[in-house]
Amino acid sequence: MTSTLPAATGVKVPAQRTAAPRTGSTNRTTPPKRLRSSRPDLILCGVLLVAILVVQGWNIADYPTLSDDEGTYLAQAWAVQEGRGLAHYTYWYDHPPLGWIQLALLTWIPAYFAPESMTVGSMRAVMLLISALSAVLVYVVARRLSLPRWAAGLAMALFGLSPLSVVLQREIFLDNIAVMWTLLAFALAASPSRHLWHHFGAGMAAAAAVLTKETMLLVLPAVMVTMWRHSHRDTRKFAITGAITACALIGISYPLFALLKGELLPGAGHVSLWDGIVYQMSRPGSGFILEPGTGSYGVLQSWLYYDRVLPLGGLAGALLLVVTWRWSVTARALAGPALAVAILAGMALRPGYLPAMYIIQALPFLALVLAGGTASVAHAVLRRWRRAGEKRFVTGGRYALAAVLAIAAGAYVVPRWYDGDRTAMTADANAPYRAATQWMATEVEDPKDTRVLVDDAMWLDLVHQGYRPGLGVIWFYKADLDPAVTKTMPNGWRDLDYVVASPTVRRDAVDLPNVKAAMEHSTPVAVFGAGEDRIEIRQIVSAGTGGDR
Amino acid sequence: MLTSVFIAAVSLALFGMAAFTLWWQMHAWRTPEVLASTRFSRPDGAEHVSFSLLLPARHEQAVLDHTIQRLLQSTHTDFEIIVIVGHDDPETTEVARRAAARDPRVRVVVDTHEKKNKPKAMNTALPHCRGDIVGVFDAEDQVHPELLAHVDHAFRSTGADVVQGGVQLINFHSSWYSLRNCLEYFFWFRSRLHLHAQKGFIPLGGNTVFVRTDVLKEAGGWDPNCLAEDCDLGVRLSSVGKKVVVAYDSDMVTREETPGSLMSLLKQRTRWNQGFLQVYRKRDWKQLPGFRQRLLARYTLMTPYLQAISGVIIPLNVAIALFLDVPVGVAFITFLPAVTALVTFVFELVGLHDFGKQYGLRVRLVHYLKLIIGGPFYQVLLAGAAVRAVWREQRGRNDWELTSHVGAHLAHVNREDVPA
Repeated sequence: MTSTLPAATGVKVPAQRTAAPRTGSTNRTTPPKRLRSSRPDLILCGVLLVAILVVQGWNIADYPTLSDDEGTYLAQAWAVQEGRGLAHYTYWYDHPPLGWIQLALLTWIPAYFAPESMTVGSMRAVMLLISALSAVLVYVVARRLSLPRWAAGLAMALFGLSPLSVVLQREIFLDNIAVMWTLLAFALAASPSRHLWHHFGAGMAAAAAVLTKETMLLVLPAVMVTMWRHSHRDTRKFAITGAITACALIGISYPLFALLKGELLPGAGHVSLWDGIVYQMSRPGSGFILEPGTGSYGVLQSWLYYDRVLPLGGLAGALLLVVTWRWSVTARALAGPALAVAILAGMALRPGYLPAMYIIQALPFLALVLAGGTASVAHAVLRRWRRAGEKRFVTGGRYALAAVLAIAAGAYVVPRWYDGDRTAMTADANAPYRAATQWMATEVEDPKDTRVLVDDAMWLDLVHQGYRPGLGVIWFYKADLDPAVTKTMPNGWRDLDYVVASPTVRRDAVDLPNVKAAMEHSTPVAVFGAGEDRIEIRQIVSAGTGGDR
Repeated sequence: MLTSVFIAAVSLALFGMAAFTLWWQMHAWRTPEVLASTRFSRPDGAEHVSFSLLLPARHEQAVLDHTIQRLLQSTHTDFEIIVIVGHDDPETTEVARRAAARDPRVRVVVDTHEKKNKPKAMNTALPHCRGDIVGVFDAEDQVHPELLAHVDHAFRSTGADVVQGGVQLINFHSSWYSLRNCLEYFFWFRSRLHLHAQKGFIPLGGNTVFVRTDVLKEAGGWDPNCLAEDCDLGVRLSSVGKKVVVAYDSDMVTREETPGSLMSLLKQRTRWNQGFLQVYRKRDWKQLPGFRQRLLARYTLMTPYLQAISGVIIPLNVAIALFLDVPVGVAFITFLPAVTALVTFVFELVGLHDFGKQYGLRVRLVHYLKLIIGGPFYQVLLAGAAVRAVWREQRGRNDWELTSHVGAHLAHVNREDVPA
């Protein structure tokens, strides 16, 4: 080795670079060792961040429509804050609880000062924080994967400003939090200092991602590939083993938690982790994604409705990077994100269950590979086969071609995104919900003794209005699925007073006998909105008395 | 409630200890640059310093001649070997005198102290040293012929007062404890010692250590009453701001053997622990300028005891978490030290692999298994040595329990020949 002996008393080890496999060609800005101290990077990243925060934050409470899942997670975060355990109904290992534990921490301070703010609409604000962190991390990852500055900015803009991103990242989904952790894992795995404990931290972040949303397991190989590429031959075995160990040990805490509670394996009279996994693995499939008429196809169309550029462009970018693997430095540098896209696309093609939020975990990687693909194309147009004495008109032609391509892309993307983002910033999709909540708060005489079935999104609102959480205001499906709730309803629908029939409730009532009966034995007393999206407040019509409990 | 708080506090303390130890143990592998900086730099060919190599030998007639001959093969041109023998040890003296007769670079100094130990022997030889640098080796050491040239270059290029080379136990296949013992040396000399050099507080090793003669004389040589005179010297020199440089090259390390029996390992460890305790009580480390340096000194010198305690408490803690009815959160905290211990375990496995690669030795599955299974037992051994050391120190028993050497490593001079 050609290094000196710096490890001396009172003397810091000088940062000397050993020969390492270099990536990145000579024709681009090498990422600075510390992005923090690079002014152009800070400015670009800061400007984009402000734009993203404005677009995502404006009108966040009113668009998109409150989702059932948001209500579920936030209500469980509320239960954690209130010290009611991991959920206000029995926690049944549907997902690892880390996601809403984080939500509970994030919303702790606002909920402490204004308990009534703990509702889906107002707490969407905390998702802005997550979005901001994720967007910055996308930029950092892009730079660490040696994309040029403009391409890193492009990735960040794609990730944060695509109408699809805006809609999905506004919602209180565990996936959004998990994406943040995954991006942190990528950023640490690609740490320019190749520090052992950065890689160890990448393993911890990856574990946090998986414990937030278990589907992030799929992306772990991509983290691993990134780490492999960015570690040095001499220290790699320690770095990679350390990362895997960290990830595994933290991951094990979940089964350990179940074990400590005596709920690891199925048994009479208690829920178990095993049952939870079996449930998730055996969810009925929603069909092949490319076959019209299936549920999966519908989900795909709903994504493409918001934006085609990011999903389809990202897939094209991934394909381009795979094809140009042999020649393109960028393609090799982006091996990790490209692999993530490939895995997630492959899983989506399985005829399994495809939830609408599935694409959230792919968004950063789609953005990264699309930006990388664009950088690759730009490099091919501007630099490839360019010699020192190239004629001026050829060089001019290169720049003209690049400009035409950029303008064409802009002409396609900007109007569509403008429309999508304008809708997101102006539409009010939740007026019926607010009105229904208002009605339940003012028109029902005795909330404390009223039992009402609602969907999860509205549950917390009614809790704040004085309804008894759990058995007074009831997540509608618990009336059929949770023994702890059904045993308080010996007379079935007769023990209820109201059903707030949102689209979700109407959709799922078909398979839930108690809910279905309650719907059949009730009449609408107030209706908000119209058509499919209307919300009806239905009062139970018992023969004779109004509420015989 | 009180139990929970107590358990949590103990667990967090243990966790901090284990985490710091792990952090330091992995120092060399932090970044590729740090790893590269731990090696000797290539000598430039010029040689400007002269060496006096001290070779204390006591009842080591079996291995001494081999060691001298190997030292004489050094490529460096300016050195002398001073073999120190006891007046009551005619066999070793005979071997030393014959070597001196063969080669003028070898001299013999006879130590006439009534009660003998290594620091007294070396202090006896110190006035006879004519070189610029005093180097210390043990009678059973295998020294690389190019080591002196590298050390020469290190002194000149860094302006160091002390250069500590690597020492490595090699015979990992001899027994379950030698496997762990070898790996301990590997992590210590390969990694941890560099951190100490960087932080400016270093307990030196017993051999392959080189000190400028004037610095050594100024410091008054070695402490004849200390059981860990090597550690003590390092602490005294670094406490007054002398510059210490550590370099580790797998080609250039001094190869040694593990103690031949479990009992002699226990005795050796007891002596070191007792020595560390003495160094701690001498308080030379209090002169260190930085608070963090003093903290590191305090922690390092107390390590044997902390190790002993944690070895007992970690399993106890886990048992409490599993069998006692504590809140889930507290139970999780009790697992933290165990988790850190597991991470350490995993890094030890990787370290064993790296050790095999560095030394061209074949490490087999059975060795990895031995490493894992032997872990807890080795911990018991360490705890035993720590307790024994405290007990002996309390009773005022400071005599040397010398480790005897059978020359196990000499059979494997050619490392390709080593049967795995």
